[in-house]
Amino acid sequence: MTSTYCTASWIKMDSSREDCSSDTLRFMELAIQQAKLALNSLEVPVGCVIVEDGMVIATGRNRTTETRNATRHAEMEATDILIEAWQRDGLSTSEVAEKCSKCKLYVTCEPCIMCASALSILGINEVYYGCANDKFGGCGSILSLHLGSREAHTSGNQQGRGFKCTAGIMASEAVALFRSFYEQGNPNAPNPHRPLVHNRAGQ
Amino acid sequence: MSQIIYIPDKPPIPPDQQPTVNVFAAVVEPKLINNLVRCLNRIAPLENLRHLKRVQKKHLEDGKTLIALILCLASENDSNMDAMPQDVRELVTSYQLSAFITKVCKEAATTKEEWEEQCKLWPTSYHPPTYNIDGITGFNEEDTQSVFGFMRLAVELAQSNKLVVNAAVIVDPSVKQVIASACDHHISSENASTSNAGGEIDFRNRLESVGSHLDSNGATIHGNLPSSASLKTLKQSCSTVSCLYPWQWTDQQLQHLSNSCCWHPLRHAAIAAIESSAARDRHLFPTSGTIGDKSVETDDIGPHCNLAKRQKTNLENAKSEEKEGTDIEGICSKSGRPYLCTGYDIYLVWEPCIMCAMALVHQRVRRVFYAFPNPNDGALGSVHRLQGEKSLNHHYAVFRVVLHEDVL
Repeated sequence: MTSTYCTASWIKMDSSREDCSSDTLRFMELAIQQAKLALNSLEVPVGCVIVEDGMVIATGRNRTTETRNATRHAEMEATDILIEAWQRDGLSTSEVAEKCSKCKLYVTCEPCIMCASALSILGINEVYYGCANDKFGGCGSILSLHLGSREAHTSGNQQGRGFKCTAGIMASEAVALFRSFYEQGNPNAPNPHRPLVHNRAGQ
Repeated sequence: MSQIIYIPDKPPIPPDQQPTVNVFAAVVEPKLINNLVRCLNRIAPLENLRHLKRVQKKHLEDGKTLIALILCLASENDSNMDAMPQDVRELVTSYQLSAFITKVCKEAATTKEEWEEQCKLWPTSYHPPTYNIDGITGFNEEDTQSVFGFMRLAVELAQSNKLVVNAAVIVDPSVKQVIASACDHHISSENASTSNAGGEIDFRNRLESVGSHLDSNGATIHGNLPSSASLKTLKQSCSTVSCLYPWQWTDQQLQHLSNSCCWHPLRHAAIAAIESSAARDRHLFPTSGTIGDKSVETDDIGPHCNLAKRQKTNLENAKSEEKEGTDIEGICSKSGRPYLCTGYDIYLVWEPCIMCAMALVHQRVRRVFYAFPNPNDGALGSVHRLQGEKSLNHHYAVFRVVLHEDVL
């Protein structure tokens, strides 16, 4: 769904696995598992997990085709689960904000401009991602929303400060999933010109 | 005066301050034009100045026409005729032309205003952006009234709560029908759980009735529209508008725990409206399309309709083709399942933040209209200019609707 027909120029790997702790790899492995679930559902394969105090507290995977809502990216799915759960528990906005500030997100592909902004609005503490997203990336590729808002820097606001971002964790695994997806073709593209080599659509 | 302003892909240069280059030109006899143009196109093609017309016609007071043509590019500081390429110089000599240097615009115009200004120096052609979208070259009276009407609905929706919030109305312009509408749900307010949801349902009913008015006659919408006084209030009490202060959801105190299901820091009006239009899509077209499925075939019609529009580059023909294009598109959207929000417009009271603006790219909205700019985090001209981000796979056209008392 929501696909672009383009070359594979977006694949940028700067994987430096020796720098990663075993925890980082373990969480990214779980994110990859989520991306595989997406792939099996004929969705663009992107997955993520959200971690608080070393525990996975939410998972998400791309669901744009199923929902016909191209904003239902893995990150949005996972954060929605948390917000809704915390609200059911009766947490106030400041308590929710406090919770968010302790969360780390592991996602297989660089968050898009929308998701990067959403993670900044929520005040997520830290983001680890796999491959870069040269078309839509909001954490350095197209825009650098992880660096925070202009307003926050001038006013010294606590909010809008952005988040720490680490790229290239298991990037080749994330890219391999995209390849599988485009090789099987995207049955949801409105007018599939060719069966393979697409962009990371809708992410 | 109320007006609709196109917000182009690049920050606008004041139309009269566009970069120029020098060219050699000469006044020529009308009967020589064809020969000379053919010859010059071969020996001195205007490679990087394709927007320039080779020939300028000036109507003189005595009823005669003066025709000048561009010979070739001139250097910026050397007005010596010897700077002309050898074969152009030979042409000048053999036709006994008297060459002079004149300034022409260096870049193609991106807006109609720029184009009009360019033509004062030397005529150019104006091709609206390749993804030619209705309205970039202006709106006719009927469309203008329709745009004002839908923006009024958004403004009214923004004020239907106790707190002033952003509001979004998604419209299928081919049939002037409201597809979805929503307010911000990023914070909780005292009355959120009751009047917010209820208010929106009431509003939707009213939208439908107004929508049908719009359909039959765009100019006759009245009803309970906001007064200019309330428009002022709207601008003054905007501290609770999501896109203006995306990070301030944390400052909002929950009034009652029982209302806690109503807020979500990311439920800005545009995001909520997209969700609502997706829900409508799932409801109206329950079976999802796969290859070979009928719904995919109808989706296929979309790009062909748009192709006809994309090929519309000639301003003179624009009006008549526009009409035709709209008709075809109308049939498409009636017969087939929509592909996301392809072909739809969204009306927002405030310019969207970067999150919402990117969401609208993902959902394939065709045109974005907003009433008030967003100096804090506006993504469509104020802080960012997402519509000019070349790498994106979809581009919408952006318009600001300046509301004035006379339409309220």
